[in-house]
Parts: sequence; C-alpha cells; structure tokens
Amino acid sequence: MLTVVKNQMRVCALAVKYNIMREMLNKVTFLTNILFMIFNNATFIVQWVILLRLREDVGGYTMREVMLLWGLAASSFGLSHLLFSRVFSLPNLIISGKLDAYLVQPKNVLLSVMTSATSASAIGDFLYGVLVICIFCFSVKRLLLFLLFTVIAALIMTAFALLMGSLTFWFVRAEMFGNHMIGSAISFATYPDGIFKGIVRFLLYSVLPVGMAIYHPVHIMMVFDWRKFFAVLGYLVLLSVAAVFVFYRGLRRYSSSSLMESGRV
Amino acid sequence: MKAIEVEGLSKNFHVKHKEKGMRGSIRAIFHPQTEKICAVNNVSFGVEEGEILAFIGPNGAGKSTTIKMLTGILYPDNGRVEVLGIDPVRKRRQLAYQIGTVFGQKEQLWTHLTPYDNFHFFGAIYDLTNDAVEARIKELADIFELGEFINTPVRNLSLGQRIRCEIVASLIHKPKILFLDEPTIGLDPVVKENIRRLIKQMNRELHTTIFLTSHDIGDIEKLCKRIIIVNTGQIVLDDSMEHLKYHYLNKKIVEVKLQDEVKLPSMDGITIRKRKGGNVKFEVDTTVIKIADALHNIDTEYVEDINITNVPLENIIMEIYKAEGKVDGL
Repeated sequence: MLTVVKNQMRVCALAVKYNIMREMLNKVTFLTNILFMIFNNATFIVQWVILLRLREDVGGYTMREVMLLWGLAASSFGLSHLLFSRVFSLPNLIISGKLDAYLVQPKNVLLSVMTSATSASAIGDFLYGVLVICIFCFSVKRLLLFLLFTVIAALIMTAFALLMGSLTFWFVRAEMFGNHMIGSAISFATYPDGIFKGIVRFLLYSVLPVGMAIYHPVHIMMVFDWRKFFAVLGYLVLLSVAAVFVFYRGLRRYSSSSLMESGRV
Repeated sequence: MKAIEVEGLSKNFHVKHKEKGMRGSIRAIFHPQTEKICAVNNVSFGVEEGEILAFIGPNGAGKSTTIKMLTGILYPDNGRVEVLGIDPVRKRRQLAYQIGTVFGQKEQLWTHLTPYDNFHFFGAIYDLTNDAVEARIKELADIFELGEFINTPVRNLSLGQRIRCEIVASLIHKPKILFLDEPTIGLDPVVKENIRRLIKQMNRELHTTIFLTSHDIGDIEKLCKRIIIVNTGQIVLDDSMEHLKYHYLNKKIVEVKLQDEVKLPSMDGITIRKRKGGNVKFEVDTTVIKIADALHNIDTEYVEDINITNVPLENIIMEIYKAEGKVDGL
C-alpha cells in the first residue's frame, strides 16, 4: 500500500516538474507572466488604500484584514492552479474525450488528470500572497498559519472546481454553470464578508466555498478559534469526498470521443 | 490460451437530437430529445495469445468503442469482457500494467519533452526502476531505430517518428497485448511499411498479441492472419485472412491487350468491365467457368499482352460492408 502511494506521488511530482519545465520553455514569457500577475494583483491595493482613507473600516475589515484576505485569496488560487490547473478545464477534457490517455494508465485517474497541467501566472498569484503577508502583517505565527490555510483553501477551491467540472459528465452545459460558480467564488473572496448579509452570507458559507476557504481562515489568523478551525477542516473533508464521489460516478458515464485532437496537451 | 474473451458485449450512447434551424434550437431547450445509438451490439469473439488480429469496419461501425471497452476506458452496458483474465471495468489499473495502447489520432507523449524523457515518465507510470527503463529504452530504440532523434523534443519530430515513439512508449512496460487504433493514419507509404515491419518484428520476437484497427488495407494484408469485420455494431465476418482470400477470391480480373479490336463471345461467368480499342478488361467467376475455358475464347495469335490478377482485398471488404448496407468509406 505504501509503495503504491509512493509510486503515485513519484508520478505526480514528475508531472508537476514536467509541467513547470514546459512553462519555462520560453523564459521571457514565463517571467513576464509571473511579474505581471504580481503587478496586476498589486493594483487592487491602491483601491483599498483610497477606500480605507475615506472610511475607518469596510464590513469590519481594516487595511490589515483586507491584506490578509487578498493575500490568502491570491495565494490559494495560485497554489491550486499551479498544482491542479487541469481541474479547472475538466469539462473540456470530458467533452472532447481527452480522459482516454489517463484511463489506460495504471495510476489514479483523478490525480493523473489533476496534475497534468500548470499555469505560470499562478506562480505570480502565489508569490503575491506571500509578499503581501510579509510586507503588511508579518509575524512568524501568522505566516505559518497563512501557509497552512493557503494549502487548505487551495484544496477547497480545487475540490469545488472538481465538483463543478464533474457535472459535465451529466450535462454538457454544466461547463458554463461551473465556470460561473468558480468565477463567483473567486470574486467574492476578495471582499470582506461583513458587507454580505442574509441569504448571500448563507450561500457564501455553504454552497460557495468562500466562507470556509477564505473568510474563516482570515478570522482565525486574526484571533485563533478552534471551532472555526475544525469547521474549515470538516468542510474541506466533506467537499473533497463529495467531489471525488461525483467525479467517479460521472466517470462511469464518460463516453470518450473520436475528435482528432491531442490526448494530453 | 485466450488473451481476450468477449461475450455479448453491447454499448449504447444517448445522443441529443435537434431539429434544424433556430426554431429547432429553441424547441430543443423546452423539449430536449435524445436518440439511442447502438454502437456495439451483442459482440462476441476471442483472441489467442500472440495473435495479430485486424478489427475493421467502416466509420461508426463500433471499432474504437470496442477497443475502449477492452482497455477499460468505457463501461459496457451489457456483456462480459476478459483481457488476460482480467475484467477491465473492475480492475482497470491492474489490466493497464499488462496492456499497451496507441491511438493514432490522440498523442500520449508530452510534446515539449524528448522521447527519452517521455519514456522515463512512462517508466515511472508503470513503476519501473530507472535501470529497468534504461535497459528497455536501449532495447526498443534499437528495434524501432530511434537513435537519431531520441533526444529531440517530440514537437520537432515528423509524424512517422512520433508514431514510432508512441509505440515505444506503449511498450516500455513489456505489455502482453498491444491495442493499435489506426496507427498508420496520415503516414506516407515508406513510413507505413517501416511501422508494419517493426510491429511484425515485435510480435515475432516479443510474442506480443496485437489488436489492430485500421482503414488501411495494407496494414491488414501485411500484418494480420485473422480478420474481424464489424458493421453497425455487429460482427459480420470473423475469418482467417487465408480463408477470406480463398473464399472470396473466386473472381479473377483478366486484362488482355490485343492487336485489333475483337468481339468476345458472351458467356456465363464472364463480365466485361472495360473495353477500349484492343484493350479488354473482364472479370471471370471461377465458380462458373474455369479461367482456362475463359481464355479459350481469345485467339492467342492476336494477343500482345495478358495479365491475370485477384480482385483487390479492398474491393472484397467493401463488398462485405455493402452487403450489410452501410458504407461511409474505407
């Protein structure tokens, strides 16, 4: 069993390494992708600086919480796309029959698919988040918690994308629905939760994974709370189990395709 | 011992059906309609170990769907499949260690990596040690003559070189069965011939069972000893190549070049195909008339040249397809 896991991890690590090597083929594009993503994210700081000069706080968030929020959203999004970018284009793989190449290999299909692509700009997102924490609200404990929650939030976002993408096994148009849901989650993740009330707030803490992936971790990093910590972990486990279950149920409906396209790239 | 056993295999697809035009699109939103397409219908066959089998049929006949069910990509709706005694649905990963696949229309290699790096990646997938992969690469690189381009990125290779690398990647773990789905598609005749030679050599030296689908009659004629023809999801012929030729090649094409235009007497079993001046092309049905009797009608004094050939295998297969009432192309 241990050997199986070890071999699977070896293949996943090789896949991630080769993905990054592919992105690095053109070093100018690779570096500019990373740098411009950092600059792109940094422009939003200016908006918040102006806004928080006009008001003392927004939805209970001061500049420090806003930076934590942005940092965590960017880093977790980055890590998720760096390691598991293919999950976000799962509907395309399903529709065009590109899962065939993974199904004939003696490895876990899901892990093989997830680790089969990366995004260079995601490195910029990840670095941006770490830089923001180090510059605006550094403490060793907070940085360690930040890294832990970056991993947890990245896994939650990946599981959510997997769940949404797997719906394509049943409905082709689920691709659009899934993209909207993922887009909404990312957009909401950059605003303080205090400004949302009622049903929207309920949705952000249940259907959309923003509350558990971003808002609760931000609260915990400010004032540690074990109940919130376990709620986040519980949500991660539940969402992951649901996503993996739906993927494998859907895989039974996979109908492949004879499109003349590449099986992997 | 049987390498593949298939019994009553069936697979249906539900395809959306839409009426034409914008009106049809709007109607489809409120009243979606689906059509059941029977891709594979109650198919049964077996393949012996070390056999090279051609599994052919017109487009949409169910060839690729069958291969995908044999390799565990698709779940059958009905029937029993055993490949090397393993059920592809229940033990897909266990089976994957024992089989190799090449889909001519879908590449499995990483295009930015060299074949050498790709082979190492595939070695890791099949849990091989680095030393084992090295030894295997050396062995296969010799057989498939990869020496010149083994360190060139795949995206810079010609199609023929890429297909050779695809086949090597699929053989890195010494599979007992190799599934080849149109491996020579888009290749020029010289490269096709090379690939066929290498496949034959591999079958002879490594005793690998080959399950081949192809629209190229050359692949089938030069590689396979047995042929299964499928059409509309069903097997319409399962026969040895030798028997197929013996059974179906009872017609001969005779091309005669005469000094002058001569009228041939009409006889049972002889059908004139083409006539231009002194050149005559006619078909002789040897079950009705002997070839010698057919030639008796020609005055040999006037014959400048004569050529007797079999009906091309392509025509025979086309006739078998036609007999089943559906031909999209061969």
